[in-house]
Amino acid sequence: MGRTTAHILVIAILAALVAVAFMRVNYTWNWDGVWEYRQKFIQGWVTTLVLSVAALVGSIVIGMVAAMMLQSRREFVQALARVYVELVRGTPLLVQLLIGFYVVASAVGLDNRFVVGVLSLSLFSGAYMAEIFRGGLAAIPQTQRDAARAIGLSQWQSMRLVILPQALRLVLPPIAGQLVSLIKDSSLLSVIAISEFTLNAQEVNSFTYSALESYLPLAAGYLMLTLPLSWLARLLESRFRYET
Amino acid sequence: MAEEKLSLKVGMELSYPPFEMTDPQGKPAGVSVAIAKSLGQYLKREVVVENFSFDGLIPALKIGKIDLIISSMTATPERAKSIAFSDPYLKTGLSLLVGTDSPVKSSVDLNVKGRVIVVKKGTTGHQFAVSTLKEAKVLVVDKEAAAVLEVVQGKAHAFIYDSMSVFQNHRRHPKQTRAILRPFKEESWAIGLRLSDTEFKAEVNAFLKKFRQDGGFEKLGDEFLMEEKKFFREQDIPFYF
Repeated sequence: MGRTTAHILVIAILAALVAVAFMRVNYTWNWDGVWEYRQKFIQGWVTTLVLSVAALVGSIVIGMVAAMMLQSRREFVQALARVYVELVRGTPLLVQLLIGFYVVASAVGLDNRFVVGVLSLSLFSGAYMAEIFRGGLAAIPQTQRDAARAIGLSQWQSMRLVILPQALRLVLPPIAGQLVSLIKDSSLLSVIAISEFTLNAQEVNSFTYSALESYLPLAAGYLMLTLPLSWLARLLESRFRYET
Repeated sequence: MAEEKLSLKVGMELSYPPFEMTDPQGKPAGVSVAIAKSLGQYLKREVVVENFSFDGLIPALKIGKIDLIISSMTATPERAKSIAFSDPYLKTGLSLLVGTDSPVKSSVDLNVKGRVIVVKKGTTGHQFAVSTLKEAKVLVVDKEAAAVLEVVQGKAHAFIYDSMSVFQNHRRHPKQTRAILRPFKEESWAIGLRLSDTEFKAEVNAFLKKFRQDGGFEKLGDEFLMEEKKFFREQDIPFYF
């Protein structure tokens, strides 16, 4: 059985199970309302796409900087990064968003909720990224660094040519996982009234008084964002594979 | 008999004091809870309050997770397409909470390009904004508190909500807000039921009538809404059972 066939088979079985479940609860579908508001779904999806891409780049940059700070020999710099990571990972994103927008951003006069949303999301996800990057770097044994230096590579060269390629391969799967979570976490931005995908779907739900009709397109829409990401991550992983 | 012990599942969003709230011990309380309890006594069924988000109430009723909705819900023609409503038990209307410096003086100032109007998701204010305010930018939030903050911080020019909440929120932020209380759209609240429960609806209506005759609503008004009642009467604004 080919890989594609296997995938199709699994999806078909799953779809059949879901269909049976819906039939068992006697759910009456009403798709007209959802179709009428399709423009709202498209708008929300595009907003979520733009938000996610921006926060994706932001969180990778923040994560790398924070990971380097965590490795710093300067106590203050390290403490700064450590407090950031623990504070952000240990508190709910909901609280961070509300305080970030209504208190911090208001205090500094930043009124663009989209910018605040992307920044908050980047900072949130960046804290997880920082630990993933740090873990990846820490997993490369000290002997590798010593050997690289012994053959005459400079500190930067040994980082770029020896440590990073190996670390990158190690961190790719968890990074991809974190980015997928980030896309889904972006749904929380609705609390600061950003008109993203989930909020739009819920609005359609409340206009049409449907219960689940809006949520199925919602799930499909998120899959359209997350599946290419997982696929890209696997592609990169195979590119960085090397013989050991 | 076993049937008499049948529970009555009443759906409400417990975040709308003093109608639907929780007491300090976390138990459901408020006007709607009191109405539900009296209805339970009348029907000889044990009342179980189920806490749902406001826009989840109608789906929950349709699916059968709850038997009826008592959640300060306005009987609108749109909602009446998917659920049935009892006779109305309370009259109110849509009013405006605006910032002190907001250019909004009345509802005619809402539909203007560049105006930012905040609404709570799934409320009649939300429906009004979406259907009528094509020029303005409409912000949709989940929580009443967030909508009030938007107005207090001057991020939104007006918050469309019912008169009583506007009044209460204005009293909480007297310096930063103004309340334009006179309803620009009158509404009445009713109990929501499934379209198929016609017999049940007749029973609920009979209860409402009896409850009113016995002075039940009057008593609840005095217990929970003394100040509001007085203020609204003085201003000649409809807010009474």
